[in-house]
Amino acid sequence: MKNLSLLTVVLVVAILNGCNSGDKKLPILGSREPIEKNIDGKIVIDTIYQTIPSFSFINQDSVIINQDSLKNSIYVADFFFTSCPSICPIMSKNMLNIYEKYKGNPEVRFLSHSIDPKHDTIPKLKKYATKLGVKNTQWSFLFGDRDSIYHMAKDGYMSYAKENANIPGGYEHSGYFILVDKDKRIRGAYDGTDKKQVEQLSKDMDILLAEYKTIK
Amino acid sequence: MRKLVLLSLFFLVITSIFLSACGDENEIKYQRYYADGSQVYKVHCANCHMDDGKGLAALIPPLTDTTYLRKNRNKLACFIVYGLNDTIVVNNQEYQGQMPAEKHLAAVDLAKVLTYVTNSFGNKQGIYDITEVEANLRKCRN
Repeated sequence: MKNLSLLTVVLVVAILNGCNSGDKKLPILGSREPIEKNIDGKIVIDTIYQTIPSFSFINQDSVIINQDSLKNSIYVADFFFTSCPSICPIMSKNMLNIYEKYKGNPEVRFLSHSIDPKHDTIPKLKKYATKLGVKNTQWSFLFGDRDSIYHMAKDGYMSYAKENANIPGGYEHSGYFILVDKDKRIRGAYDGTDKKQVEQLSKDMDILLAEYKTIK
Repeated sequence: MRKLVLLSLFFLVITSIFLSACGDENEIKYQRYYADGSQVYKVHCANCHMDDGKGLAALIPPLTDTTYLRKNRNKLACFIVYGLNDTIVVNNQEYQGQMPAEKHLAAVDLAKVLTYVTNSFGNKQGIYDITEVEANLRKCRN
């Protein structure tokens, strides 16, 4: 009898270890499409994953930010506006915590898209960044024309942003933090107003960074 | 004998309840204001000033500067109802952002939320009564 319980304990420990020992990977989100490839005369089925479409926006330092400037880094994207009275301050605070953790890490970037280009001019974005304590372009606050920003929100990050005169601030947008890998694929979406989910994002970023370390 | 003991015990309990009720009436009112105020705070204030009252960097001022709250006590209700556009100095840090107006809040809710704020985040300034709110609001309406 005693042996049996000992055996159970050993088994449970073994199973638990088994779960942890495998390299944990984040899922790849979005639509996917199988394609047939002809490699050395053999038909191989490969998968095309949804990626972030190319874009070009200007940040708080009047620097153009596009896919090229994000080469070799994973990044977190969100949508906000500086005069936002509702969820933005909480999102900024949570993002700030993550930013502090990865400050100076060239593999990690942050993109906050302003959805109010009418008021959020580049000097205004610069002021916002400075007051938040962001001094370099690792965290970029992006200015772009309204339609391209809204298009990026909807078709790029599967998020949303639109004008709505009926709510305080005049714009509505989702509060999601979108995690994008170096291959421009979405690897996670987290409620930026929820502390627990933001903690998860922080853990997942470590997992994602580790993924690229093992490839090298 | 047993009956007598029980009866006297009963009276003792009753009188002590009455006595404590009289003494604690203000305390109960304060507790009620504070508890309700925490709910008002969550809905109307916490998005910007945060759950812990610490605000956001140099963008949104914290509510932890007891001296500021005490000095401006009679303006606090007006700040909430009409918002703020001036530059203010809190904890030696300048803040210039705009605070949105919350015109729809009733005087009693203002009293409750101000009781909560002036007694949380390291502040301890006692109850902020509805009569005080109403008197202060009359001043800023002019």
